[in-house]
Amino acid sequence: MKIKLFKSLLLAGAFLCFGYTQAQEVSGTISDANGPLPGASVLVKGTTNGTQTDFDGNYKIGNVGANATLVISYIGYKTQQVVVGGQSTISVTLEDDAQALDEIVVVGYGTQVRKEITSAITSVSVEDFNQGVINDATSLLQGKVAGLSIYNKGGNPNANPTIRLRGISTIGGNTEPLVVIDGVLGQSLSNVDPSDIENITVLKDGSAAAIYGTRGSSGVILVTTKSGKNGQPFSVSYNGQYSLSTKANEIETMNREQFLAIGGTDLGADTNWRDEVTRTALTTVHNVAAVGGTDDANYRVSVNFRDAEGVLVNSGFNQFNARTKLSGKMLNDKLKIDFNSALTQRDSEFGFEEALRYAVLYNPTAPILAADAPFVFNGPQFGNYFETLGLFDSFNPVSIAEQNQNFGTTTTVNYSIDFKYTFTNNFSANLNIGQQNVKIQNRQYYPTTSFFRGNALSPFRKGRADFYTQENRNQVLELYGNWSKTISDKLSLSATGGYSFQENDFNEYYLQLGDFPPGVDFNFSDNIEVSQDLLEAGRVAANSGRNDDDRIIAFFGKVNATFDNAIYFDASIRREGSSRFGSDNQWGLFPSVSVGVDANKYLELPNVNLLKARLGYGVTGATPGGVGLSQTNFNVLNGSDGFGPSATGLGTRKPNETLGWEEKQELNLGFEFAMDRFSATLDFYNRDIQDFIQEIPIDAATNDGFSSQFQNAGKINTKGIELAANYDVLKSETINYNTGIIFSTYRSKLTENVGGDRTIANLGAPGQNGTNVILVREGEQIGQIWGPVFSGNVDANGSPILVDVNGDGNLITDQGSALNEDVDFAVLGNGIPDFELGWTNQLTIGKWDINAFFRGAFGHSLVNNFRAFYEPRIGSQSSYNFVNTSLARDDIRTAQFSSYYVEKADFIRLDNLSVGYNFDINNNYIKNIRLSLAGQNLFTITNYTGADPEPSLQDFGAVDNGGARSLTPNVLAPGIDRRYNYFTATTFTLGLNVNF
Amino acid sequence: MNRLIKLSFFCGTLLFTYACTNLDEVLEDELTTQFSDNGVTVIEGATSGGVLPSGNLTGSYNGIRNGSAGHGSFFSVQTVSSDEMAIGQKGGDWFDGGIWLQMHRHTFDAAHPALNDTWNNAYGGIGQTNLALAGTLSPNEAAQARVIRAFQHFRLMDLFGRIKIITASGVDAPQTSRLAAFNFVESELLAVLGITAVSSTMDLSSSALGTEAQPYVVNQYAALSLLTKLYLNAEVYSGTARFNEADIAATYVIDNGPYMLSTASFSVPNLAKRPEVATDPVNLTGYAAIFAPNNQFNPEMIWSIYYDAVSAGGMNFSQMNFHYSTQLTYALDAQPWNGYQVLEEFYNSYEATDIRKEANFLVGAQTDFAGNALLDFAADDPNLVVDYTPAISELQPNSPRESGARAKKFSFQLFGRPEMNNDYPIFRLGDLHLMRGEAKARAAGNWNLSLPDVNAIRNRAGLTPLGTITADIFFAERGKEMFQETSRRTDLIRFGKWGNSWWEKTNSDAYRTIFPIPFAQIQAVGSGLTQNPGY
Repeated sequence: MKIKLFKSLLLAGAFLCFGYTQAQEVSGTISDANGPLPGASVLVKGTTNGTQTDFDGNYKIGNVGANATLVISYIGYKTQQVVVGGQSTISVTLEDDAQALDEIVVVGYGTQVRKEITSAITSVSVEDFNQGVINDATSLLQGKVAGLSIYNKGGNPNANPTIRLRGISTIGGNTEPLVVIDGVLGQSLSNVDPSDIENITVLKDGSAAAIYGTRGSSGVILVTTKSGKNGQPFSVSYNGQYSLSTKANEIETMNREQFLAIGGTDLGADTNWRDEVTRTALTTVHNVAAVGGTDDANYRVSVNFRDAEGVLVNSGFNQFNARTKLSGKMLNDKLKIDFNSALTQRDSEFGFEEALRYAVLYNPTAPILAADAPFVFNGPQFGNYFETLGLFDSFNPVSIAEQNQNFGTTTTVNYSIDFKYTFTNNFSANLNIGQQNVKIQNRQYYPTTSFFRGNALSPFRKGRADFYTQENRNQVLELYGNWSKTISDKLSLSATGGYSFQENDFNEYYLQLGDFPPGVDFNFSDNIEVSQDLLEAGRVAANSGRNDDDRIIAFFGKVNATFDNAIYFDASIRREGSSRFGSDNQWGLFPSVSVGVDANKYLELPNVNLLKARLGYGVTGATPGGVGLSQTNFNVLNGSDGFGPSATGLGTRKPNETLGWEEKQELNLGFEFAMDRFSATLDFYNRDIQDFIQEIPIDAATNDGFSSQFQNAGKINTKGIELAANYDVLKSETINYNTGIIFSTYRSKLTENVGGDRTIANLGAPGQNGTNVILVREGEQIGQIWGPVFSGNVDANGSPILVDVNGDGNLITDQGSALNEDVDFAVLGNGIPDFELGWTNQLTIGKWDINAFFRGAFGHSLVNNFRAFYEPRIGSQSSYNFVNTSLARDDIRTAQFSSYYVEKADFIRLDNLSVGYNFDINNNYIKNIRLSLAGQNLFTITNYTGADPEPSLQDFGAVDNGGARSLTPNVLAPGIDRRYNYFTATTFTLGLNVNF
Repeated sequence: MNRLIKLSFFCGTLLFTYACTNLDEVLEDELTTQFSDNGVTVIEGATSGGVLPSGNLTGSYNGIRNGSAGHGSFFSVQTVSSDEMAIGQKGGDWFDGGIWLQMHRHTFDAAHPALNDTWNNAYGGIGQTNLALAGTLSPNEAAQARVIRAFQHFRLMDLFGRIKIITASGVDAPQTSRLAAFNFVESELLAVLGITAVSSTMDLSSSALGTEAQPYVVNQYAALSLLTKLYLNAEVYSGTARFNEADIAATYVIDNGPYMLSTASFSVPNLAKRPEVATDPVNLTGYAAIFAPNNQFNPEMIWSIYYDAVSAGGMNFSQMNFHYSTQLTYALDAQPWNGYQVLEEFYNSYEATDIRKEANFLVGAQTDFAGNALLDFAADDPNLVVDYTPAISELQPNSPRESGARAKKFSFQLFGRPEMNNDYPIFRLGDLHLMRGEAKARAAGNWNLSLPDVNAIRNRAGLTPLGTITADIFFAERGKEMFQETSRRTDLIRFGKWGNSWWEKTNSDAYRTIFPIPFAQIQAVGSGLTQNPGY
């Protein structure tokens, strides 16, 4: 579609500059290194006279003057000009344009030629995506876009990575970027199979994202899926991947001998719990796609099958995805219709991350099975697994993983249809309608013999089943017009204006019940009517929620102007309203303006293709994370036994009728430089977020005991630098070597903290409740880890001796005094990296290609929770296991949080190494075959002693004794490596690609 | 095809005009209007029943429940800071950043989370009451609501001294002196009792409050009991002693109220009786019956907080007190947390024959549901059997897992849930007797005047009467009776013993008799609160 559009614009431009001709016909073949190029453009310079090559790369053009010049162009190739000079046959071989300055880039509500872009935009296409088995679309980009942090701690195939663009951009609102798929906003990336993606463009700064208003604050990710081309012959391709994963790093614990030597309780066996709950995971991916096209229509249909296993036993998913993309023209090419639809059904086995957690702290001398218990043990009561009864927070990991079920199905269906009608050469209008339905049905089942959540220990009320269903419907309607005109040689203008409507309807329900008949091996989650909980008051937990008509409505407009093909100007404005605000504050205004200059056009430096400077300013916004924050609600207080009084009392929150938009203002200065073999982009930015929507402390006395309320309060300033550079070290017919580096760094400061200084991120039970390790203080950086400093010495009781930081002779290290002026706490590190690096290497030798990608983050620290809880040689810990990293000290015998458990987690990792070979077959059945072998997460260089040194950008809170973690992360608390984080995996993938 | 275009543009236009700027937010899953319904009063069942408050006051009464018998709020603050119980750091468990060690050692600071929770809970309760008072209430309901609000302010004044007096939802008030708060509580109570002062000739006939024995509903006796406690501590709060009025108010309750001491003639079935354990008593009698899970009809109860496993959660003593393995003794729903330990000295203050010693504490070797030895495979002593020893070797860092007697006054039931059914007394007749005895003694400066009341209580405890008594002995007697009823801190302060040293605690400064205003409240925008002296 974008190619079409470009062509149309070109033709339109050509029409306007109607020129003079003489009669002559020229024909020929346009090809590239691999053969004929269908669809290349041939134009007589300075006229509207042009054509396209056919399927075989041939063209024929009449009315060519003898002294005319032909301009031959094709997206992704260097444009060539050939003087006709009386020739009647002109054949041209186009060269790849490595720098792709004329590449068309998808931007908000349209496309732009790369060199005309005036804001910070990075576009990554299929050939630059990460290799190997990639189960979610954003991981294709990990480490490829400067300023875009993508972290998926551990290797859980069912977990979505955390994505941050240029750091934290909002606290209460949506912290993840807005996703726009083939021009449709708000659809789910999980409904796009990574194999179907052609290009991902990231709008990084405010001036690029402002056209998306509210949801633009955290950045915008524009995904373009693969499509057919007009005139393309029917063809089928197959992509298959077969991979094996094993657990990579793990935190060191004691084995049987070490554990007994330190006085651990001997239960007679020798078990490596982590080996018992992990496995070599096999993943297969199949992708079959068919493409084709006629003169006025094209299509692409693909199906994807993914069967992924996690390294944790009984975890993984099975996914089917189908995508259809149709594009056609009618009414003399005036109406263009694009239709997209996709269906994904994913059957997940989530497994239990708790099995990994308890595998770290479970007694290494404990047997797996009850039959091997060192004393009389009622095995059948616990499903014939052994359990260490009487311990807080201790469950047999193998029993957790093998006895219980945690599974679900997510079905996502979406479609979108776009009508584009070209009224005149200057004006066209689009109507875009899209809808997406997502239905999630999750279940958990804990049999009557499960000690973990199944209550097997109790003489009654055993077994538990949980059911959760959620349905989300999202509808989008957008109507906008495009106008463009080349005013003169020096000036061309375009403008876009439109209306956008988006509505989300949500409903959910949850049910939990148990007390199933023991002694029977039967899955009672399929037969919950036998639950004894139904007979006893208050045992069944159930809740439901619904929220319809959650709307965002906007009017928007933008203009682009190009002067002298070297000075570019863009401006946009969006007026947007959201139903989540109080009626007086529903509407916000989000403008942007940016300008760019290709200085090289005037400087004409030798060997330089581009030297562009650009400056952009834009305002984006963010909506609150939930609905109803501006409205008063009332809680229902039920009487006892259903007979007593019932009434409403104070609601669940203190409403704020004046809640309004959160605003982010961003100024971005960028430089782009390109030579034949070298290119670089450098961006500096400064962003101020103000009025962020945040739950802030309020006076409980005046506010009926409510101690917090969502308010527009506070300011964050982020300054950052991003650099991307690329160099063709070797460039020849047979050998090519390209290397590229991206670098990004930023600092976020809390410039105004209305809620007051506080500490957050409680470490939790056992024994470390009230231990908040992150400091939130005005004027200081975000993500500071705060606590007492370990002196390196230990007293006779085994307590670490802490440092009198302020030297006042009075050691105050109680958490209750954390914010006192005289407290002996210090900043122990920061959870956010100082800088992040990505280093790509692409080597092509003949038919071989080799890719190596290194990724690193530096300067961040992590609070190693496993160590903080389980490394001290505490007496009562001798029934669990001890964490035993290289930092372990036998003389520390009390659990006291200090700097000792805060570790620098700088790392560099060989994230991806792949080798591929292309077989040219070119027989009647098969065109070519490609075989590749890729390794992911091959090695990591770090001093961090935990399982994974990747930054933890947000925190889901503490979990203990079988509880569940919070669903809403705290973005102000980076740097906490919790005890539920997954082990990382190393994966080897064999890939097969066949084009028929 | 033209039709298709026209149709689609038409549809678009239709949508456009219909929903163009409609951003009304409808909350489908939340109630945005109020209602109240009195339901049907049912008196039946083992653990619930009695006359419940009217629907209009459900929220007001619920407000008192928060934190009064659970961990982390009022109960913990009032108890762990006293010499009744401590929460020892059990190796890797219960250190919690030192906040409970601070509370025990009186080194707490303004940022202590439990103080903030206590403050928020109290003002949340006040908010519920103000919401009720802003609606339509009968005169009797309004009078009840004012007593509840006065009680919440009383607690705040007792804990924090300089508080805000909030009498309308969402309306700010300045921070007052402790004396002004004292005066507010007194005037509210006198007003609802229809009198201007407590005197031996007072006439309560114009009071809108009732006089029936309905412990979930505030009546005249509940209001007078609160006045008794206010006057008994008046010297601490206001600088002026009011012992005579305390005596008169308590005497009025004892003489006119429909209450009697729960003596040996009163018993309830023991819901913790294990079928296979012969030594478990069939019934709980007398003192023990006052606090049993089925204590809702106890004749001693003047005003109690309704707790129920299903509909009125918040009492979690089984979780807070027991060793993990004790789950198997009672077949409890959930594994306990092994937190609160009774101080050895406090446990030893009971005479061996005191029936309250058995009623209040769990000590010694424990057995499981079937009566077999209860084992702790992770025991940190050589003996696998769970054995609660009164002696606690240390408070931190390795307070042994099985050390310390465990409070079982609010006793347990088989198959109990983490939320317990026992009602929690705010005022009961036994307390009134002790308050009256003390008031008489202090008013006349002669402790022997307390003997009739003290001996009535000793008699119920199976002890011989005392012939003479001192302030210290009286204090010990009150302590033994009122254990676990969140009275100890206030008593320690009134008797001038709060700053003394006891196990694992040194002397503390006088300013610590009042807690610091929670840091979060001082920080809150526009609160205007200032810190108490000394912090």
